[in-house]
Amino acid sequence: MNLMTLQRYKNEIILLLALFFVIGAFLYKVNASSYVEENKAHIQQQIAEITAINKYKNQWDGKSMPNKVKALKTVVDASKVKSFSKKSKKLVASYVNLTANDLNKINNKLINMPVQIIKLQVTERSKNIYSMEFTCKW
Amino acid sequence: MAILNLTAKQSNRILIHKNMEPVKLENSVEIILTPQFYTFLREELDIKFAYQAKQIAASMFDDYLDASKAYQYHVYKCDNSWCFFAYNIEEIDQFLESVGIEKHRVSKIYFAQQLESELSTPLLLSGNHALQSVDGIVTMVPKRLLGDEVAYSTLDIDKPKLKNGVSMGDSLDSFVSVKETIILGSLLILLGTSFIVEGQRIKSSIANEDAKLTMLIDDNPKYGSSALRTSILGKYKPIDTIERAKRDAIKDISTLLSSKSQLKSLTIDKNMVSADIMTQNSKISKQVKEHGKAKKMKISGSGLNVKVEVKL
Repeated sequence: MNLMTLQRYKNEIILLLALFFVIGAFLYKVNASSYVEENKAHIQQQIAEITAINKYKNQWDGKSMPNKVKALKTVVDASKVKSFSKKSKKLVASYVNLTANDLNKINNKLINMPVQIIKLQVTERSKNIYSMEFTCKW
Repeated sequence: MAILNLTAKQSNRILIHKNMEPVKLENSVEIILTPQFYTFLREELDIKFAYQAKQIAASMFDDYLDASKAYQYHVYKCDNSWCFFAYNIEEIDQFLESVGIEKHRVSKIYFAQQLESELSTPLLLSGNHALQSVDGIVTMVPKRLLGDEVAYSTLDIDKPKLKNGVSMGDSLDSFVSVKETIILGSLLILLGTSFIVEGQRIKSSIANEDAKLTMLIDDNPKYGSSALRTSILGKYKPIDTIERAKRDAIKDISTLLSSKSQLKSLTIDKNMVSADIMTQNSKISKQVKEHGKAKKMKISGSGLNVKVEVKL
């Protein structure tokens, strides 16, 4: 194709180039749409997963639990703590002669701590006097 | 045939006539066609615009041109009239080739008629012809008709200011006009630009999420692994779900307790939270049972004793 032919069809060539530009731009838009379509849900899912992991780890990794569980020993009078055994990442505690108020205090402390309650037993021994045993881990 | 070498001092314009010597060009030139290559008409018409004149150009030459050839037309306003030119670009093209002028060297085509005011005295061309304005029309005149004592013009054809030239490409048939090209081209460019803008807007719609994800992964690169995330979630999610359920069950059971409905026992094990509640009378017992059912607990027990169970 010589210069003469190019000059002869310059209008058509300009339009052809403009058409290529439009086609290229359209493909770019389609590509952008499909990229977003493919990736948006995936990215959001990854964010949700990582956020959930961070939340779960903060809550359940139990790093500061050895100190926190000590509060379960002091929440009621020492005479009411029958046994309090903390080994590794596990706590086994037993209380006696608990009033309803004591029971509520221990219960509130326990359920507000990020520990896994493996076993819990509350029994009324006499009128409004309870014993309590629980095992938890973290 | 002698070759005229113009490389030393090359003219910008060349007069094209059938007896001209072949030339050798190294630069672009403007050519001025002599009447041998065009047909000229000057008409006073009640027309305002050149495009209107161009539209009727073909019909103006109906009786003057060879119907078997394809002609191109050029029109411009000259004084109060319209100057019409009809020419056959293929014929011109062939001739230019025969005298060594390559098509791409031709930057503009002018018509000798445009030198009308400069050609009141004849300009001698090579061969036996001269170019002269006769009654306002530039004409090829045989030298013999001018006589021996005529003074020829020494016109330097590079000097006159010429406008209304035609480019070689414009002379050739084009499927799309310049006007259409500008309109269509602009529309296509606009459309393309809007596609690009839209594409960028779409892409940027996940830029924030993308940046947030990058930040989260930068903070903890190992979370970039899908398998690891699944494994960690698999470990913590059941713990979170079950422990929340245990705590919710304890809270729900505590709402059933009052001074008239007291806890006898509470048990949490792997799969269940259960409680025995002693009520003071059957009315309270019924209320506790109803509340328990409303909280989707399994209710059992007889008399004043109510047993509630929540499955984990």
